[in-house]
Amino acid sequence: MELIFILIIPIIAAALSLVPAGKKFAPGITVAGAVAVFILALRTAFRVVAGTELTAVKDWISADGLGALIILLVSFVGLTAAIFSWGYIEKMVGTGSLGRLRRYYCRYNLFVFSMLSIPILSQVSLVWVAVELTTLLSVLLVSFKNTAEALEAAWKYVILTCMGAAFALIGILILYWGMHIAGGGLFTWKDLVKVAPAIPPSLLKTAFIFILIGFGTKIGLVPLHTWLPDAHSQAPSPICALLSGVETTTVLYVILRLLPILEASTTINTGNWFIVSGLVSVGAAAFLLIQVKDYKRLFAFSTVEHMGIIMVAAGLGGFAGHLGAVYQILTHSLTKSLAFFAAGSVLLLVGSRNIAKVRGLIRISPLAGGALLLGGLAIAGAPPFAVFLSEFSILKAGIAGGHYLAITLLTIFIVIAFCALMFHINRMVFGNPAPELVKPTPALPLPMIISLVLAVIPVVLLGFYMPTTLNKLLLQAAASLGR
Amino acid sequence: MNNKILFNLLQVMVVMAFSPLVKGVVDRLKELVQSRCGPSIFQPYLDIWKLFHKDEVVSEQSSWIFRFTPYMVFVTPIFVTLLIPVLTDYPLFFAFMGDMLGAGFILALGGFFATLSAVDTGNPYGPMGSSRTRMVGLLAEPVFMTVFFTVSFVAGSTIPYIVQKVWIMPLSNFFEPSHILTMIAFIMLIIAETGRIPVDNPSGHFELAMIDESKGLEYSGRGAALMKWGGSMKFFVLVSIFLNVLVTPWGLAQGNNLGEVLLAVPLILLKIFAFIIVLVVIESSFAKLRLFRIPEFLVAAFITSVAAMITRFL
Amino acid sequence: MIAQSMTPTLLTQLNALTGGLFLLSTFGVIAMRQVLGCLKMFILQSLFLASSALLLSYYHSSLHLLAVAAITLVVKPLLIPYLLRRTVGDKVTSRREISQVLNIPTSLLIAAGLTIFAYFIAKPLIAYSGAGGIIIGVNLPIGISALLLGAYALTVRREAVPQTIGILSMENGAFFAGISIASNLPFIAELSAAFDALIIALVMGILIRKIHERVGSTSVGEMKTLREV
Repeated sequence: MELIFILIIPIIAAALSLVPAGKKFAPGITVAGAVAVFILALRTAFRVVAGTELTAVKDWISADGLGALIILLVSFVGLTAAIFSWGYIEKMVGTGSLGRLRRYYCRYNLFVFSMLSIPILSQVSLVWVAVELTTLLSVLLVSFKNTAEALEAAWKYVILTCMGAAFALIGILILYWGMHIAGGGLFTWKDLVKVAPAIPPSLLKTAFIFILIGFGTKIGLVPLHTWLPDAHSQAPSPICALLSGVETTTVLYVILRLLPILEASTTINTGNWFIVSGLVSVGAAAFLLIQVKDYKRLFAFSTVEHMGIIMVAAGLGGFAGHLGAVYQILTHSLTKSLAFFAAGSVLLLVGSRNIAKVRGLIRISPLAGGALLLGGLAIAGAPPFAVFLSEFSILKAGIAGGHYLAITLLTIFIVIAFCALMFHINRMVFGNPAPELVKPTPALPLPMIISLVLAVIPVVLLGFYMPTTLNKLLLQAAASLGR
Repeated sequence: MNNKILFNLLQVMVVMAFSPLVKGVVDRLKELVQSRCGPSIFQPYLDIWKLFHKDEVVSEQSSWIFRFTPYMVFVTPIFVTLLIPVLTDYPLFFAFMGDMLGAGFILALGGFFATLSAVDTGNPYGPMGSSRTRMVGLLAEPVFMTVFFTVSFVAGSTIPYIVQKVWIMPLSNFFEPSHILTMIAFIMLIIAETGRIPVDNPSGHFELAMIDESKGLEYSGRGAALMKWGGSMKFFVLVSIFLNVLVTPWGLAQGNNLGEVLLAVPLILLKIFAFIIVLVVIESSFAKLRLFRIPEFLVAAFITSVAAMITRFL
Repeated sequence: MIAQSMTPTLLTQLNALTGGLFLLSTFGVIAMRQVLGCLKMFILQSLFLASSALLLSYYHSSLHLLAVAAITLVVKPLLIPYLLRRTVGDKVTSRREISQVLNIPTSLLIAAGLTIFAYFIAKPLIAYSGAGGIIIGVNLPIGISALLLGAYALTVRREAVPQTIGILSMENGAFFAGISIASNLPFIAELSAAFDALIIALVMGILIRKIHERVGSTSVGEMKTLREV
């Protein structure tokens, strides 16, 4: 039952946000809805850990271990981003029309709804529709600022991802055909895994390649990633957190669901496909991180890098590899949202996205500087934060599995990315502030501070302590990736 | 055997006699569609008769090519007539002398001489038109080749009579996508080769814009008459290749007697008339393409023929 | 039953004819210079898609496919162009695009190459088609080639509306292949996919209008401010 409410609440919140009832009504409704969804997601996670799967409508709406994890992540980042938006968007819109503000929250809620529906829906064809909806409902959010660059970024975003979605569509249709030949059944993830050994390998391979190209465009696999730095930097920061943190994760979830289906056939070397595409992304992102001039693009390239790492982890195979992938998904979502909240605070204070213009942040605003430093360190993979632990577990799994070349390359790329990130963050946070920045800076709005704190807690906590329920959820999620 | 030679000669005479009529009908119909009166449909006959009775003026600077070309342009369509189905659907006496590719090359020979002769006199407009004609011809060749390759490969032979039997005798073959696409490509080819709108304006008098008309610029008297007659015969021949090989097998004489063959004469004229209606509609609906857009038109024809080939073989 | 009024061979011939014309209209999307011409080619393509769905509904005697054909007929040739023209405005749709990345003859030749590549991809898959082999053998390669041609049109065009039409024609191609290989997909999936195409047109139309208002032209290929170098 919770699953149905998880889907309905954002829609109601979206409709209510359009009610012109004052400045605080729309953000308030959004935050309230996000809190409700988060509580329901926690309940779902607990129930899934206790049993094996939660079913609301058989074969249409259900959630297993991996699904519950993604729902939890989406709802958490949705909550923190909603709180952040309360302060940030108010500042951005200023004294302008409230209609724009209301439209923002309405689209925000619809966007969160579309992302929540991806792990909940069991029918693969509906999942494709949901992925398309996440693109379409977020386009106008990306172009919210209405500058020429924001519009250009939004255009590239919509064109490239819709192109990818069309490729993925034909992949899914070929998969359906294959399932039909193999004996039928319903077009759900579970039934696909069951009939997978009987599907002709050439059909499976063609479908996989189309879906990899198609949805790979959406998660930012090189060389189809060109829209990602633009869209993820031009959008307002809470939207960037949603886009980088969870939207790419949900589409990656769809690709990972293909893993047990593909491993049924011995002729397709799925692991290699995943590892190679992942390594290309990590490598390209690591080098591109060096020459970045805009700190939001910095974090966007870091998203490309992490998506590559998760693909490599999934390709390593075996329970350890899958566990590493799922763990990395968890830590990346939480940490990336923190990074973008920090970047948003910096943008509000400094007014420019240029790295060269930001100096000595820690002196200007200890809060923003500290958050940026924490976020940067965490996302780069420094101990004692969560990302370090997950990357380490992936490397361990790789060495245990014997993929020495892949792990060596991965380590080199991660180190290069770490150095590049640290170089840029260092320049921004420390040093002497430029004279025009030392004037008394306005304080950050309270909602932004609250969301920063909320985002920091799990990032720091998971570096030391993993709650048992969460651990069990991760184990269940990893199990659903294998056969 | 004797009948076959007779029918072959009859075919040639039909082409020679009726091609100016076809030209006249096209011109008259085009004018009527554009709400004008138009010349009489027998006007080309009167023009040719008048020209035969005039003196010829030949430039001193021109060579033998200039004098030889009108005969060439007149004779090549006649040779082609011997090879293609115009009145009968079984091969006639000379039909095995050449196949469709041979017919194409003979027509190209006539066009080659016409191009050279336009350059021969030293008139500035002649070479301009010649170079444009060559450009159009160059781009039209791949279309020609692809269409005939597709059609002949399927029929297993390049002789038009055999191709016709395989392609359009069974009615269900008519609706095959490769057939329809081949027809579209060939119509575009006819428009390009005979210089109709949208490639060229056949009734224009502006030398700077002429493509196909420029070959007859310098001729007078008998030469001009032969060029005109040869041009209209080329049109007749191309259209009858199109109709009898690719579109409609009906109305061709199937038996061996004279009565049937004579009956086929008005039938072929009727078919050509139906095609003329389509052509006039196309001509009146479009504007002439600018010169650098003509390659686009011809590439579109090429792609259509390649699509026909793909849908047939793959 | 409806299926017996048309003999199988005539039905397959008509289906192949629709397929050939569908392919030709996809070439037309690449070859047209005018934005309005591009849109007309897209309308033609959608009409052929709907008629193919109609033919297949006769062939499989399936009411479900008939409903799909009806939805396609209403949404794609009618609603989407109307929506696009309303949201984008007349000034943008009456443009003609003078320069593309490659000129039209080269584009058409590359398009022919892509079509052959699509047939190459589809070849090993057709072996599994079984009873519906004649139809799948025609529809699947044409659908995949329409997909690739739409992606190509997307990269080569510089104006916004032709790029949108490229995306919509990619989806048309995927559906053209889909109605033959996955003819009994759950109805709600087809309905939501058609609805989704509508939303694509709406969202992109709004975005194009915003771009036009802000930047003054919709030549999105020229917008290159966000670059790495």
